[in-house]
Amino acid sequence: MSRKNDDTAPISAKKFMDELWRYKQGSVSRRHFLSVTGLGMATAAMAGAMPMLAVSRSAYAGSIGDRVSMATWPNYFNPANFETFKKDFGAEVQVSVFGSNEEMLAKLQAGGTGWDVFVPTNYTISTYVELDLIQPLDLSRLPNFAEKYYTKRFIEPGTVDGKVYAVPKNWGTTGFVLNRKKVTSNPTTWKEFWDLSKTSATGRVMVHDYQLTTIGNALKYFGYSFNSVDPKELADAEKLLLDVKPHLFAINSDYQPSMRSGDAWMSVAWTGDGLQLNRDIPEIDYVLGKEGGELWSDFYAIPKGAPHLDAAYAFINFLIDPEINAKEVSVHGYPVPDTRTTELLPKEMTQNPIMYPAKELLDALEFGAAVTLTDPLRAEIMARFKAA
Amino acid sequence: MVEMINGAVDVEFQGVTKRFGDIRAVDNIDLEVSSGAFVSLLGPSGCGKTTSLRLIAGFEQPSAGDVRIGGASVVGVPPYKRPINMVFQNYSLFPHFTVADNIGFGLRQLKPRLSKSEITARVGEMLELVRLQGFEERRTWELSGGQQQRVALARALINRPTVLLLDEPLAALDRKLRQDMQIELQTLQRDVGITFVLVTHDQEEALSMSDTIYLMNEGRIIQMGGARDLYDEPINRYVADFVGKTNFFDGEVAEIKPNGAAIRLANGRVLYGRNPRGGVPLNRNAGGAIAVRPELIHIVKANGSACLTTDVQTTARVKNRIFLGEQTEYLVMAEGFGDILVLASKHAETVSGGFSPGDVVSIGWEDSSALALENTSKGDHSTAVPVPK
Amino acid sequence: MLLLPTTLWFLLLLVMPLVVIAVYSLGERAPAGGYQPALTLAQYANLLARLKAFTNTLTLAPLGTVICIVIAYPFAYYLAVKAGRGAKPFLLTLVIIPFWTSFLIRTYAWIYILGGQGIPRLLEMIGIEDYRLIYTPTAVLIGIVYGYLPLMVLPIYVSLEKLDKSLLEVSSDLGANPVRTFFQVTLPLSAPGLVTGSLLVFILLMGEYLIPALLGGGKVYFVGNALVDLFLQSRNWPFGSAVAITLVGIMLAAITLYLTLVGRDRGRQDVSVL
Repeated sequence: MSRKNDDTAPISAKKFMDELWRYKQGSVSRRHFLSVTGLGMATAAMAGAMPMLAVSRSAYAGSIGDRVSMATWPNYFNPANFETFKKDFGAEVQVSVFGSNEEMLAKLQAGGTGWDVFVPTNYTISTYVELDLIQPLDLSRLPNFAEKYYTKRFIEPGTVDGKVYAVPKNWGTTGFVLNRKKVTSNPTTWKEFWDLSKTSATGRVMVHDYQLTTIGNALKYFGYSFNSVDPKELADAEKLLLDVKPHLFAINSDYQPSMRSGDAWMSVAWTGDGLQLNRDIPEIDYVLGKEGGELWSDFYAIPKGAPHLDAAYAFINFLIDPEINAKEVSVHGYPVPDTRTTELLPKEMTQNPIMYPAKELLDALEFGAAVTLTDPLRAEIMARFKAA
Repeated sequence: MVEMINGAVDVEFQGVTKRFGDIRAVDNIDLEVSSGAFVSLLGPSGCGKTTSLRLIAGFEQPSAGDVRIGGASVVGVPPYKRPINMVFQNYSLFPHFTVADNIGFGLRQLKPRLSKSEITARVGEMLELVRLQGFEERRTWELSGGQQQRVALARALINRPTVLLLDEPLAALDRKLRQDMQIELQTLQRDVGITFVLVTHDQEEALSMSDTIYLMNEGRIIQMGGARDLYDEPINRYVADFVGKTNFFDGEVAEIKPNGAAIRLANGRVLYGRNPRGGVPLNRNAGGAIAVRPELIHIVKANGSACLTTDVQTTARVKNRIFLGEQTEYLVMAEGFGDILVLASKHAETVSGGFSPGDVVSIGWEDSSALALENTSKGDHSTAVPVPK
Repeated sequence: MLLLPTTLWFLLLLVMPLVVIAVYSLGERAPAGGYQPALTLAQYANLLARLKAFTNTLTLAPLGTVICIVIAYPFAYYLAVKAGRGAKPFLLTLVIIPFWTSFLIRTYAWIYILGGQGIPRLLEMIGIEDYRLIYTPTAVLIGIVYGYLPLMVLPIYVSLEKLDKSLLEVSSDLGANPVRTFFQVTLPLSAPGLVTGSLLVFILLMGEYLIPALLGGGKVYFVGNALVDLFLQSRNWPFGSAVAITLVGIMLAAITLYLTLVGRDRGRQDVSVL
């Protein structure tokens, strides 16, 4: 199906329904803030409404309970796998999708979530441990997890004080997407990204509604660390952001629709979105800033007080089964740090430079630091930037 | 005050028809309301009387014919440009205004604008006229039905309309109040000298208040005349039936007389009746009816000392007796006549001593008290001839 | 006596949360986010940092309300007074149908309609190039009017429907032309619906955050958005509470002012505007 022709056409009923359907599936970009508003409920309702899920009951039914509740990010799972899980284990998967780690943390801090499994990002796990919101994992109940198959740097953030609290889901990078037909210069750095925003691409650039990446990449403009909490450096970043703000198309983590429609020419973006956009519209490219930026990895973890503990373990173990995991990747498009799974992926994926960037680009990237999650100044700068 | 010009005509309908879809609410009506008159449009619901009123007010426009006010055609002229005001059924007072502001509403629409003091003064006059002084600042929902009625009247009169229209103005009042208001309306009309056109379904109301009554049915005018005309000279069975109570004896026209007709009843008995003034002479062998008002029938004890000398006489048995105070109503059964209603005056009751159900009585009436009428119950336009006065 | 439980519920459900927020607003943000007790007005001193959110809300909420009135009144009038017996249920259904779908989905649809492939693309066809709608205050206003119009139409419709139509005839009969009748009778008598609708729309708009978030692209920032960010992102509960208390204060003041103005206007006997 050629999307190129469609993209120049005005409103068509089909495109409109595509957009809505995409929205209904929750497959808006990762950490999309919409989730706050009940999008998660829409997704959960959809999963519940799947006819195939309706009656099947396996021998396991009853042993792990009839449901498992997961908090994750949009466009970050394969509903077909949930079907399989329900068929094999008798537990229905209920999903809430979230917009940011901050938001997920806020919900857990408020309590009473009822979640059994959640998907924290690397830099947040130590905070969850500190706040006593997460429980250590009994690895004997996760036979599919075997350290030797995993890339070490992607396991490490899951271990705090020698205890394993989380097992890797997948990893990714934060770069930017650009439409090469509209942006003809060839930006390769964050400096160029921000400068273009103020000049030839004015009114066409989007940044995330997310302090970590937006402030982090603004810090990169000055060559500071992505994770800086230094007030002076943050002041520089804030000044840049306030400068750029009038030129921005939007501050919005759901940048796919605007990139697809041609309204936006550039946007801060995550691996999977870059991959999906590039697959559908080849002139949209995904670029990692040469100065560096964020490397991240997401984990499966179990919050304190999970109501269906058995189901939580069964579900995590199920999802990191290489075969199931490969099916996950085929939908979300993020690389996994498990070699068994990678071996099952098609060549188009394993050789895709968006999923697996060149080593020198990767080396420049930093993991997000725990301090950024709770630093009040970063939070306030982001809020001021939005409120400006 | 509006000058009374003798013989001037305020409202005139010339062949007016009003259709709503397939229904002819008003069907080719001619009508004249002379200046200063108190005219009633009388008839059952659906007879076209309210539509006629709305045609005068301007809420409806005729489908055919001409509506003239003060001699000029007003077809197409909206209500707010007509020198006519109306008292609505249920009064329709403005709930967001006080009594004074309701009454002054019409004055506030005048151009050039009147001064506040003039409005206040004229509202005061009106309040006095309807005897509601001191009620200026009251809210309309605080008033009794009769008081609301008077506010509505004052509101409609304050602009000194050429014609005042009243749409069933007394229907919502209780009986006693209604009778008081009837007198009040009549007095008021005489005082202000404004032409009144009243719509009512209540024949008693029309009879007691108006100079001229248009009796309507099915969109047409059946008979027009004064109260006495309609009561004493109903031109057909429908009118006689609608206005007051009447005994009908149906049969076939047996003989045409110079001023009346003889009608043979089913039992072979022949009764005579005179033609009503303005009525149409009957045709021989056609259906017809003899109509006799109950108060014109004499009633005495059968074989008693008092003897009837009337033209028609028969014996009957009393079936029912209703004491009405000033009169007593008997329902009697006479062989060959059927049920007959008889009204005995207080005086007659004193003389006769009254009768009880089961009593055998003699009843009778004079031929001159009986009318020979067409048997139509519907109105026919050709018969709607004004009764010469 | 029977009223006692009701009063208790009222206190519990309405007043208690406000008290909690008021207490929070005097506290401090805990190091990892949330609230820690303190007694300081520092949060209120920092309110100016959200000035733009307040000015945006206080401009677009009243403006949106006014536009809703201007569009809703003629529609409700037509519906209640002019529409035929056949058209009325149909039109009423049209007003209500949007409620059958999630507000979120409907607003999401506007992203597409206002986006580059939507209305601007159609405008291009008639020669208007490069007209930007999505993520502008205009887009937010369109979303607001779209979303809140039924809430304005229905109360006005109900009050016009209840209006005794013979009063309009009385007015006409007494010499008022249609325009004067409208301002002297129809408008004052439908004022309750107008006031209800305006308050409903205005109050909800003051707390609105979904429409500016979706159609404003994070650039048209309402107090509601500031609150979401403060509670869900920065987890700065005390500052969030201070913003919320301020918003409640402004709303109360605005509503009081509005009702006073309306009350005075209705109290005045001759409301003739012409």
